[in-house]
Amino acid sequence: MEKTTHFGYKQVDVEKKQGLVKGVFDSVAGKYDLMNDVMSMGTHRLWKNYTIASSNVSKGDHVLDIAGGTGDLAIKFRKKVGPTGKVILSDINESMLFEGRKNLLNHGVIDVDFVQANAESLPFDDGTFDCVSIAFGLRNVTHKDLALEQMFRVLKKGGTLLILEFSKVENQMLEKIYDLYSFNLIPKFGEFFANDEDSYQYLAESIRKHPDQETLKTMVLNAGFEFCEYHNLSGGIVALHKAIKA
Amino acid sequence: MFRLAIEKALNHLINVNNIDLKLIDNKIISLRVDEIDLGLFFLCLNSRIFVIERLQNKKTDVSIVMNKASFLAMFEGSTLEELLEAEDIEINGSVNTAQQLANLLASSSIDIEELISQYTGDIVAHKIGQAFRQFKEASISNHGSVISNIKDEITTAIVAPSRSKLFKGRY
Ligand SMILES: C[S@@+](CC[C@H](N)C(=O)[O-])C[C@H]1O[C@@H](n2cnc3c(N)ncnc32)[C@H](O)[C@@H]1O
Repeated sequence: MEKTTHFGYKQVDVEKKQGLVKGVFDSVAGKYDLMNDVMSMGTHRLWKNYTIASSNVSKGDHVLDIAGGTGDLAIKFRKKVGPTGKVILSDINESMLFEGRKNLLNHGVIDVDFVQANAESLPFDDGTFDCVSIAFGLRNVTHKDLALEQMFRVLKKGGTLLILEFSKVENQMLEKIYDLYSFNLIPKFGEFFANDEDSYQYLAESIRKHPDQETLKTMVLNAGFEFCEYHNLSGGIVALHKAIKA
Repeated sequence: MFRLAIEKALNHLINVNNIDLKLIDNKIISLRVDEIDLGLFFLCLNSRIFVIERLQNKKTDVSIVMNKASFLAMFEGSTLEELLEAEDIEINGSVNTAQQLANLLASSSIDIEELISQYTGDIVAHKIGQAFRQFKEASISNHGSVISNIKDEITTAIVAPSRSKLFKGRY
């Protein structure tokens, strides 16, 4: 096992990363939704809509949203599965779950279960879910391979995994603009709106440290999934990996 | 994008009509339409169909290769047996399995006009679309406005994000 890992651009002890990530999300929780809208100029909603449209989820399905945070996906999944279905929103961070519960109540959604859990050790039986999703969460997980194996384990045969995450921009010109934006403006937005430049610096850096589309696809297949395809959104700023457990 | 539209149309049909998928359950079916360069894989698992574009090192159970005319004929209700007799199509594997997929495709609300024009960009697609619509109106019961639902959902996903919460004055 490696002794150090990345936390944004810094190398830190493997055991320390989880606590540092916790610090970031404790700090941003209260302003998370606002900042998501500011930083992505609302586009994160479009990416999430595409994720739901790709989910192949139908009435009666059981869905687990990992690193669900403030619950954007859980709200949409709840509508899709209908009264006979079940949606669980899980996250490692209590502050984010707290904000998630508030957000769901604001949307009039009450029938979603909340579970505090690390993606690396999910407290669910094998073969429980028709769909597992993780949006903008995987890059924060220390042992991504372990987390992917857990996702594989808790899915039913024929279940779908959806990973929505920042990825590698396809076009060099767009990449330059995007770099300027994320390293100069995002931390400033963080300071201005949330009084927290460091956390947003981490978020921008962690995006660059995350595996690119093909690498992540290989990791997904290595975790046991038989099929995995990805679709670039907004020129590869974000990619949706969809995998099937066969 | 059309991969997603086809997947949604098929699963909507299956859910609304509670269709038994035993003939295609656990099967991988490849469908290739020469001339329009359309190649898709249909995978049936967990009572639903997944439509995928690339298959890595997996063997298909059934493969169907057809030309544009037979593809359209299939949507217009020709059975695969008929197409096989006319030697317009090649099937490797179980014809019954292939037929169940063909039936699903033909009864779903896939907008064939859009599908074909996506691949050919030609006017023929328009004519095909007209014929297809007339056929549909005449022959299949209407499963609500499936296609418009699907279109709405995909359009939302691609072009129209919902309004940002920022403007809702919650902060
Ligand atoms: C950027 S937020 C994404 C929230 C939400 N999914 C969304 O798309 O808006 C990342 C979330 O991942 C959670 N997270 C970080 N590490 C985690 C882990 N090891 N297991 C589960 N959740 C984790 C954080 O607490 C945070 O809520």
